[in-house]
This record gives sequence, structure tokens and C-alpha cells, in this order.
Amino acid sequence: MWRKVLGICLAMSMMLLLSACGSEETATYKGEIDTNPDKGLEVMGEHVTYDPNHLVNDGKPVELEWWLWDAPDLFGSIAEEYEKIHPNVTIHIVNNPWDGFWTKLPLALQKGKKGPTLFNVHNSYQHLLLTYMAPYDIDVKDLEQDFFTAKSHEIDGKIYYIDFGIMTGAIYYNKDMWAAAGLTEEDIPKTWEDFREVAKKLTIQENGKLIQAGFNYNGEFENLMQSISYQYGSTLFDESGTKPTITQEGQIKAVQMMLDFYDKDQVGDKDFGTDSAQSFGQGQSAMVYKWGHFYGYMNTNYPSIPYGTFEVPVVDEDPFAYDRYNGESTPGINKNASPEQLEAAQDFIRFYLANAEKQKSLCMNYSLFPANNALREDEDLLKNPAIQAVSEHISDYIWPGPMPATLGDNLKIAGQDIMYNGKSIEKTLKTAEDIIKVDLSNMDFVSSESLYHKYSQHK
Amino acid sequence: MKKHILKYSLHIVLALVGIITILPFAWMILSSFKSNEEISALHQTLLPKTFTLENYVSLQSNFDFLRYFANSVLIAVIVTVLVVYISCLCGFVLSKYKFRGRNLIFGFVMMTMMVPWSVTIISRYTMFMKAGLQNTYLSLILPVMVSGFGIFMMKQDISALPDELLEAARIDGANEFRIFHQIVLPMSKNSISAIAIFQFLWVWEDYLWPYLMIDSDKKQLLAVGLTMFNGRYATDYGGLFAATAISIVPVIVVYTIFQKRFVAGVAAGSVKG
Repeated sequence: MWRKVLGICLAMSMMLLLSACGSEETATYKGEIDTNPDKGLEVMGEHVTYDPNHLVNDGKPVELEWWLWDAPDLFGSIAEEYEKIHPNVTIHIVNNPWDGFWTKLPLALQKGKKGPTLFNVHNSYQHLLLTYMAPYDIDVKDLEQDFFTAKSHEIDGKIYYIDFGIMTGAIYYNKDMWAAAGLTEEDIPKTWEDFREVAKKLTIQENGKLIQAGFNYNGEFENLMQSISYQYGSTLFDESGTKPTITQEGQIKAVQMMLDFYDKDQVGDKDFGTDSAQSFGQGQSAMVYKWGHFYGYMNTNYPSIPYGTFEVPVVDEDPFAYDRYNGESTPGINKNASPEQLEAAQDFIRFYLANAEKQKSLCMNYSLFPANNALREDEDLLKNPAIQAVSEHISDYIWPGPMPATLGDNLKIAGQDIMYNGKSIEKTLKTAEDIIKVDLSNMDFVSSESLYHKYSQHK
Repeated sequence: MKKHILKYSLHIVLALVGIITILPFAWMILSSFKSNEEISALHQTLLPKTFTLENYVSLQSNFDFLRYFANSVLIAVIVTVLVVYISCLCGFVLSKYKFRGRNLIFGFVMMTMMVPWSVTIISRYTMFMKAGLQNTYLSLILPVMVSGFGIFMMKQDISALPDELLEAARIDGANEFRIFHQIVLPMSKNSISAIAIFQFLWVWEDYLWPYLMIDSDKKQLLAVGLTMFNGRYATDYGGLFAATAISIVPVIVVYTIFQKRFVAGVAAGSVKG
């Protein structure tokens, strides 16, 4: 008898569970109603301004989702500050893993008001997202006056996202090894010629075996190669901005210089580990070329290693560009959202862009040079070595545009073929160029190199 | 003498294989008590030089670990129970009832096992979206509650039960419901154990489908949560190892419960016909 009762109970509980599993959160959202348009707050911003003293969605409740892949607390604090001003707006932060974000987001953006209204953007995925994005309801000229990289994001006179900060390459050096080699701050090299001498001093070999690399670029071939070739004045794309040009003199010289570091100067070795970041963290390499995110990597994995940063050396005193940069983007707005959500999202974006303090905290977190001109001289930001290193010549850094992955991927393969398989530089770069050309012909990509202020000087 | 040498050699080889198999697992567990710096250090040690519980203490700060864990347990248990019951039911019908089209149905079930999962994911996603099942647990349960593998296993197992036994029960007045629950199910414990272990494990470690279907943080599963430790630029290995160490506990519990019958069950499903 008891078995029957147990069986019936189990079956019923399973039915109940299943029915509960199917119930989506369909209850009508009952948020707060805002009746006070006068918040008593000051207008924020310089050219892109935000006047908080108004009602959003006529004060009626509205709910938004904001999808991110990182730092939910930090981005959430921006949402919280906005919600305090407009209590009728609720912004739900949905944090996602980076790996699956770009698979799920385009699917979710088709869900209209049930999908995310706001979502963080990475410019390398612009081609995936643009069809779902609504342009910012902010004057483009105002954006360009406040954010020095905004112009490069203009598409047919509209802006869908901009950078809140930019990241680029720099040389990271181990301070203990630097001191042990008898080097001081005065020895920080400005040119690659000087850099090679410093690297030699930092190199330790025992019985012909490399113990400490003076400079290690393993795993960074494609990034360093692009940096040096820009210095020589060779752009990555032709004047139409659609065809790759990676077999120019500048690129060949750049690769040759990199090979010389290892083969002639013997300051490092292609077989000295495949990951220069790890080698630096483990105290085996004295200098590495890394982008700003390395600051976070070191804080997470090797917090006790003392290191400094200096600007990437140059081939001559007046290089075409010091390096390329890439931006970290402001959120996109889902054009499929409901009109109420769109109104709130546009208002929130204006608040975000006029709020220099919040942009500052984002730049601090990611070690980014701020794109907002109002933050250029900010003392707190300049204390960050990665930001400080690039601050002097920031206008001489070039952005090639939202580069498709094919360029980096094929340059990486070319680097491996040249370094490990001993293939000829010219032939290998030509092969990579041909593959990239085919890939780009299937994409709607136009480089932004022509927007660079020294573009007319390229070779 | 020669026999003894062979026996001991075999034991040594098996012990070595066992150590090689378990070493990465042990390394992961022990590393969960190390700092990230020690995990990424040049000179590796199996035991932590500086023992820390920080990775476990800070687990909840990355995401709502306990909630994700509970959600995963709930879904894995429901799916496992459903799969086991439905597989037994279908296996019983396909092996003990003679009707036209029986082999055709079984062939169809077998065919579902041959279609790669990735082929159906897009159409399945569209279907579930149109049905409004996104962000519901039903979307995680429905697609896996009928398992071709489970039906195959149970058909093979139940077909080995003597028909005379079931006939005797019928003569004694047992109806089909009673025969199934009181004779067939208890006599299929080995195969049920095998299916339970497999199914629980598959649901427990499934990542892409739950990630695509569930948006709400409150409903998300642990396999998705674990990927939060892989940042864009750096991975919090200490946190990842600690979370993984805890996340495998239910799998070990399920295996411990069913292990005695597991091997017998797999063997039964594979040889009987």
C-alpha cells in the first residue's frame, strides 16, 4: 500500500515540478512610478550633456536588461546611479561568459522587448551586431568634441557605439632584473636601437643556455609586427581600405628586426616558452611587449612581481605612428526593443556618456587611456603605468578599424611559419595576404586608417 | 612462476594507468588550495606551499554559486528520473509486446542516436523560441527527457527477462502496470543504474543548450557559471578549480550509489539481444 502512495506522491511532485519549470516569469512588471521631474541635480557633461531633471517614459515603470561579459559590479554601479535618479527605470544586469556571449547575443537581440535592450559591444563583432543596433540619439558633433575617437565610429552619419577608453601596446619590464643589470630610469630606451642594447644587458646565459630573456615576444608576433610596421609608415590596408597590404617594406623590415632580436642579439629565443606573459610572470623574461590588459593579467596571476611600463620604442624620432590601438566600447541599443525601453535606453546612454566619473572608473579597471577628452590629464588615471606610458603621444596612435579576426589569425600563422619553420619572410607574408584578401572580399569591411591625422605620410 | 610475473606486471601497468588517470584530478583538487600565483608558478609542486581556503571562500562573489549548484541538481535529478522511467517503459513495450511496426519504431529510435546533436540545435532553438519556452526549465527538460540510448539499453536488458515469468504474473492476476513496476523494473536495476549515471553526467556537464535557453541569473546552471572564471584576458584558475571540485561532488555521489550495478548494466545492454 505504502508503495502505491509513494508512487502517486512521486508522480504528482514530478508533475508539479514540470509545470513549475514551464512557468516563465510572466507576472506583469510593477515598478515604481516617478512623478517628480525636478530632481534638483546639475546638468552633467561638456558637449554631450545630461540634464537629469526630467521624467523618463512619463514616469511609468520600464524594465531593461543590460548584457555584459565582465565586471557586473562596475557596470551595475552605473545602472544603480541612473536608477536613483529615475526610480521608475529598472536595469537588470545579466553577466555572461565571454566565450558564449557572441553566440547568444545576436539570437537574443531578435527577441524584441524580451531580449536585452542594452548590451556591451566589442568592435571586432560589429559585423554581427550592427543590424540589430539603434543609433545613439545624440548629436554626432557633440560626441566628436568630447571623445577623440568618436569620428572613427561614424557610419553613414550615425553613431551606434563609441570608445570609452583605448588600449594599446607598451613594454613591460621587471624592475628587479632592471636594477640587477645596473639599469636606472634614465636607461629607458626611446628607439629600438637603444632597446636592443638594454635587452642585451638584461639577458643572462649560462653555458650557452638562456636563463633570463632580455626581451620575449613569443605569442605576440602579430601584434608587435603590426606596431613596428606602422612605425615605418606601412599601413595594413590599401587606400580603398578593403585590401590588405602586409608585404610592404615596413612589414618585412619589422619581421626582420624581430628575428634579429633572437638570432643576432640572442636576447630571447623562440623556444623559450610559447607564452611571454607567463614567462614574465614567472620571472624568466625581463621585458615583454603587451597590451594594457596585461596589467589585469599580472594583478590576477602574479601580484608580487614588481614591474614598470614604458612606451614602445620607435624606429626613428618621428614615426608615422607609435602603434595601433583598440577601443573598449560603450553599450549598444537593441533597435527591436519596445518604444518605452528605447526611450529609457537612449536616456541612459546620454547619462553614461556625460558621466566622466563613471568612465574614469571603467578606464581604471581596464587600464585604458580615456577616450573622453575631459579625463586626459586626470592624475589618478596617469598613476596607472599602462596609461601613463602612452599618454604623451596618444594622438600618434592609429586605429585600423574594427578588424576582422582573419588578419590577426593569419599573421599569427605567418609568424609561426617564419620563426619555427624557417620560411622566407616575403613568401610567407604574401601567402597570408592572399588568404586575408579572399576572406575580406566576403566581408563588409573598410579600414579606418585613412582617418589617422598623418595618413597622407604613409608609404 | 611465469603466471605470477604476468599477474604482477599487469597489476603494475594497471596501477600506473590508474595513477596517470587520477593525477590531473588530484592536481586540480590540491591546486584549489593554492593562490593563482602558485598555480602559475614556474616550479610546480603537487601539495600547496601556502595552503589557502580563499578560492572557496570567494566562490560566491563571482556568481551565485549555491543557487547555480541547486539549479543544476534539480534539473539533473528531474531529467535522470524521467529518462530512466521513459526508457524502461519504451524498452518494455518494444521488447515484450509484439505488434506491427515494432522494429520500425525501434529503428527510428536508433536513428535518433545517429543524428549529431549540433545538427539539430538551430532548428531546436527556433522551435523553443517560438513556443515561448525560453528562460524556462521546461526548455532544458523536454529535449532530453526521451533518450534513444536509454531506450536501446532498456530494450536490450528487458528482452532478456524470461517471457514465462511475465506470463506467470499475468496468470496470477497481475495487470500490465503491476508487471512493469513490480517485476520488470526491479529486475532491471543494473541497466537503470548505468543509464542514471550516464544521463546525470550528461545533464550535469551540458553547457551550450542551458546557456542559450536560460537568461535569468536566478535560473542559470553551474556548467555555465563555471565558464565565468574564464575572463577575456585572464582566467581565475584558483576559483575555477575550487568551483569544479565542488561541482563534481554530486557526480561522485551518483556514481557511488549506482556503481555496483553500473558495470553489469553496461555489459547487459551491450550483449543481450
